[in-house]
Amino acid sequence: MDILTFLAQGFAVALEPQHLFLALIGCALGTLIGALPGLGPVNGVALMIPLTFNFGLTPTAALILLVSIYYGCMYGGRISSILLNIPGDEPAMMTTLDGYPMALKGRGGEALGLSGVASFIGATVATIGLTLFAPLLVGFAIRFGPAEYFALFVLAFATIGGVTSGSLTKSFIAACLGLLLGTVGIDAVSSVPRYTFGWFELYDGIDFIVALVGLFAISECLVFLEDTRHGSKPTMKLGSAIPGMRSAWQCSPTIARSSLIGFIAGVLPGAGAALGSFLSYTLEKRWLGRRGDFGRGDPRGVAAPEAGNNAAAGGALIPMLSLGIPGSGTTAVLLALLLSMNITPGPLLFAQQPEMVWGLVAALFIGNVMLLVLNIPLVGFFAKVLQAPGWFLMPMVVMVAFVGVYSLSNSAFDLYLMLAFGVLGYVLRKLEIPTVPVVLGLLLGGQMEYNMRRAMSISGGDWSILWNSGISIGIYAFAITLIVAGLVFGWMVKQRM
Amino acid sequence: MHEPGMDAGRIPGVIGDRIAGVVLAVLAAGAWWHSHSFATGFMQPVGPGAFPRLVSVPLGLLALYLILRPGFNQRWPHRAALLRQVGALLLLGGYAVFLEPWGFLPASLVTVIVLVRLFGAPWKPSLASGTILTVGLYALFEFALGMPLPNMPGLSW
Repeated sequence: MDILTFLAQGFAVALEPQHLFLALIGCALGTLIGALPGLGPVNGVALMIPLTFNFGLTPTAALILLVSIYYGCMYGGRISSILLNIPGDEPAMMTTLDGYPMALKGRGGEALGLSGVASFIGATVATIGLTLFAPLLVGFAIRFGPAEYFALFVLAFATIGGVTSGSLTKSFIAACLGLLLGTVGIDAVSSVPRYTFGWFELYDGIDFIVALVGLFAISECLVFLEDTRHGSKPTMKLGSAIPGMRSAWQCSPTIARSSLIGFIAGVLPGAGAALGSFLSYTLEKRWLGRRGDFGRGDPRGVAAPEAGNNAAAGGALIPMLSLGIPGSGTTAVLLALLLSMNITPGPLLFAQQPEMVWGLVAALFIGNVMLLVLNIPLVGFFAKVLQAPGWFLMPMVVMVAFVGVYSLSNSAFDLYLMLAFGVLGYVLRKLEIPTVPVVLGLLLGGQMEYNMRRAMSISGGDWSILWNSGISIGIYAFAITLIVAGLVFGWMVKQRM
Repeated sequence: MHEPGMDAGRIPGVIGDRIAGVVLAVLAAGAWWHSHSFATGFMQPVGPGAFPRLVSVPLGLLALYLILRPGFNQRWPHRAALLRQVGALLLLGGYAVFLEPWGFLPASLVTVIVLVRLFGAPWKPSLASGTILTVGLYALFEFALGMPLPNMPGLSW
């Protein structure tokens, strides 16, 4: 087996002391970031990118650190969902529905233990899936030309709408806005400045990280300022996490189903972990019907979304690594990190830098075990962190954002730009226009345009090249199917609520 | 992701969405019009204006659709909240202006203390946590991570 050989090499890379240490730091930090309400995986990873640059880490080490944070956030998000009824991050939203009622009944410890095990299984299933399917996809993608890549980008933006996020129109508006913002700066092909209006600071384009930190961290801060009378948080009696192991065994069919559903949701480009947990919870509820007691503290209602979102988080790495198309906001940030280190993910990455790809995969297996250990016996420590008041946490986030962004370019202009994006992000959130498509558009716009123009220069200006191959027609058909399926599914959910 | 049943803060976005639609439609039209000024280079089948035009068409159409069929908005902030937000933005804008001339320590100290106040903490914890955050971040970035931060004028090591 080729894969096993590669994986063995990967473990050799991942077991280097520096990489092990970074994975541990990343897992602990990620759990912490995920646990803190309002600081999701996107924020956490985005805030860490400037720091990684300044550490002078190799790309492999930086990727291991950030992906460990990413996985850690997925584990951590459940803690405040269960204990405070506030989702630590977006994918953990579904966990509040049964996790908090369980905590109210004094079974908080059990819920944390159970969700820890469910997260572990979900993430492991996804990592195994990544090991098996990423090389397959790579073998397929090697035949892609620029026209097929252009179609893939269209697919990514078509699926961003997801099945549940409010309005399809608004998701597409957000994607277009991001793509348009991505054209600002000097055009790489013709060296013509576009939409810079004479501002030299814009000639390099809008720095993705500046926009991202503004759209997420700064706008989060503005949302938080709306209501500063956040009452003192109740201290909940935890109880032991050990009974969670037993209930995990009882929930094992649920965990298995949800891991699979979450994984599939994660692999779809543009969908991501939030969709994974939503689908797992909804489908499990439907599957169990009257046999379940969902919404009133059913352990299976905790196991399903946690297995689902962790499996989706791992699945989302597949399109990012093998095609260079991120499946979620956080994987978009990871892609940005790779691009800024002059590494282009895609089929060639697997051929040219196998030690990096497989080292990362092995690090994920190791990190998962670390996370299980961190999240079952030590969960009490992370629960304590939740007591930190918001008036301390939010200014800290703002300061880390400022210093991080400033350290990238030492320019005050980037700070103003970050604030402007903060306001934009806030207004978009109020309008219920999702911000993740804006980020994806901004990040992928350059690649999408590059592929379009390359296709056009191959065809000599004939637009039909974009839909002339079987593969690209297949991709467009898939995109349309997903949009229609999303509309139908959304309509069905609405009918039943 | 909007889970039905958790939308207590939602309001019909008749006004908000229509304003947004008009702004976006104007933006799309402007981007379309401005893209014609980008010169197409020699031997290029499509110039630098093609992609922005390709994007501005759906943006404009979707914006028009938003004007015709507005959806929902989150509840907009009240007056007091708006004042706090504007205050925080002015404060942070000022921080960006004064970071270099004043140096990291004094500029951050003032900013963090006022910011913690804005987030609703009383004076005493504000002063304490402002000092802790500023000194802690300075130590972290300057010494542990080795990132140079702007120093106070006349003070450098």
